[in-house]
Amino acid sequence: METFAALGGGFAVALQPHNLALAFIGCIVGTAIGVLPGIGPLNAIALLLPFCLALRLPPESALILLAAVYYGSGYGGRITAILLNMPGEPSAVLTTLDGHPLAKQGRGGAALAITGIGSFIGATLSVIAMTFLSVPLARVAVAFSPADYVALIAFALSLLGAVGGVSAPKAWAAGCLGIMLALIGIDSGTGVERFTMGSFELLGGIDFTILAIGLFAIGEILLLIETRLRAQAEALHGGQRLTFSEVVFCIPAMLRASSIGFVIGVLPGAGASVASALSYTTEKRLNESNGKFGQGDLRGVAAPETADNAAQIGNMVPMLSLGIPGSGTTAVLLGALLMYNITPGPLLFEQRPEVAWGLIASMYIGNCMLLLLNLPLVGIFARLLTVPPWVLYPGVLALSFAGVFAVSNSAFDLLLAVAFGVMGWLFRKMEIPLVPIILGFVLGRMLEDNLRRALSLSGGEVSALVASPVSIILWVMTLAAVVWPFLRKRHG
Amino acid sequence: MIADRLLGLAFIGIALAAGFSAWNLVVPFAADPLGPTPFPITIALVMGLCGAILVVQPVHGFERPERLTAPPMLVGAMVLYALSLVPLGFMPATALMAAAVALLFSAKPTQAAVVGIVTALVLWGLFDKLLDLPLPKGILPF
Repeated sequence: METFAALGGGFAVALQPHNLALAFIGCIVGTAIGVLPGIGPLNAIALLLPFCLALRLPPESALILLAAVYYGSGYGGRITAILLNMPGEPSAVLTTLDGHPLAKQGRGGAALAITGIGSFIGATLSVIAMTFLSVPLARVAVAFSPADYVALIAFALSLLGAVGGVSAPKAWAAGCLGIMLALIGIDSGTGVERFTMGSFELLGGIDFTILAIGLFAIGEILLLIETRLRAQAEALHGGQRLTFSEVVFCIPAMLRASSIGFVIGVLPGAGASVASALSYTTEKRLNESNGKFGQGDLRGVAAPETADNAAQIGNMVPMLSLGIPGSGTTAVLLGALLMYNITPGPLLFEQRPEVAWGLIASMYIGNCMLLLLNLPLVGIFARLLTVPPWVLYPGVLALSFAGVFAVSNSAFDLLLAVAFGVMGWLFRKMEIPLVPIILGFVLGRMLEDNLRRALSLSGGEVSALVASPVSIILWVMTLAAVVWPFLRKRHG
Repeated sequence: MIADRLLGLAFIGIALAAGFSAWNLVVPFAADPLGPTPFPITIALVMGLCGAILVVQPVHGFERPERLTAPPMLVGAMVLYALSLVPLGFMPATALMAAAVALLFSAKPTQAAVVGIVTALVLWGLFDKLLDLPLPKGILPF
């Protein structure tokens, strides 16, 4: 009952006309950036943040807008994957496997419709789960001591190497690099300068938006410019439309994908890419006898897209309830909240219910808007794929630089963003995941602060770090996450 | 394989530099028992260890770009933009940079010129007029 009352309060916030309008704008922007390769939710949110601050949006309105961009992007990636055979978002890779064959058979419209429905089902079921899970989780976390938080953050970082099919040492090294970047500047506890290399500009530390825009916007454009663009979009019209019986046929797959997506999403470190891959392989295995996966099975597009959206929402649960982001984009959302002097975490739901519940309520509304935007109007978004890159990317780049400059007013930070861009580009060429850098950057400071707080409380006694049952369990899980990639390799 | 070995060595190098830098910190007073030194050293150790694993067990090579000259030229254009933004002003610098990037994305010269001018005007209107965020004026009077 308590939950329903709180959710009602949230709807009172989310249904205010300006918040409805912001959610709607966020849904359109989100779908659009999801369609366009090279612009993802992460850098879009990092770019929109200075706008929110400049327009003096209240925190709940800013979060409603930014979150709508985030979950809206989950609807857009599929359009590019199906029509162009390349993912608009990394998590849409699996959608190309069956989506593009369907488009070639003239059933692109049907594939887009079933994935639109799937995205809606996955996201909405996930929001419902989030509604009932967030407060209990926050209640558990209220009792967490700094030592427990140290263990929790260590677990989140260790998972980066254990999931997602990346090379574990590369993921962890990238995470360490992110932590080191976060430590640059004056240490708040002692006033000592760390890693500033004598640079005056680095004394205040590196701004979060500069790292995000550099790594993800500039780096992505460098990656795009080195390949020749060639792909031709498949026609959307014609072909047999999606039938009702086909929707019913896909529902069991969508329900399985929703649960996989939500659970994977809540786990820190594992994101939408892992969830969509896992749900695709699950469906393929379950339907080995009657499926035509890889040649255009509707379930093969419905499952990964449903899981993708469910995981995106699931990712927000640890960010809001624990204050620990599980993915790159939720790390940026956390950064946005911190800029508003709001600390997400166990107390958020009690101290700032209008922010927490307003956001959750707006996600119910936003997903309904997205369903409407993405079923009848999908053709308009598909048009975006005909915008030539020489129009699009100069604008994106100029917008990135203007965003960086608006944050800091310094040419030094522009050069820093270029340097991060080159780093992001080279890292991607060497298959080093970039998400651990951004997660390390956000979690690194928290990890050190909690570690020092825990040891202050215990008077320097190190055994205090493993004093509570929660911390012992989390450390054991961390150890398992560290050992797992090596065992997996040995067994093939 | 070579690329991963070099990468591992680079990680070890960064870890050594960071570790020594943290080791040599002069801490006049410490408010807490841990202080600012041990945490970065621990992170550097983890990073060095990961680098060592990469040297011993490399996984992948470096994928050769299809267009070799475009990425360095784009980096050059961006660096020039960062250096010229304040002295030249937002509009001229942005128009030049956007036009150069359009050319690198194989636009025709006239197309690039239009893209450059339109991008600069739209962003200037957005940031300076609509959002009231200050942008460098430079050589132009507005």
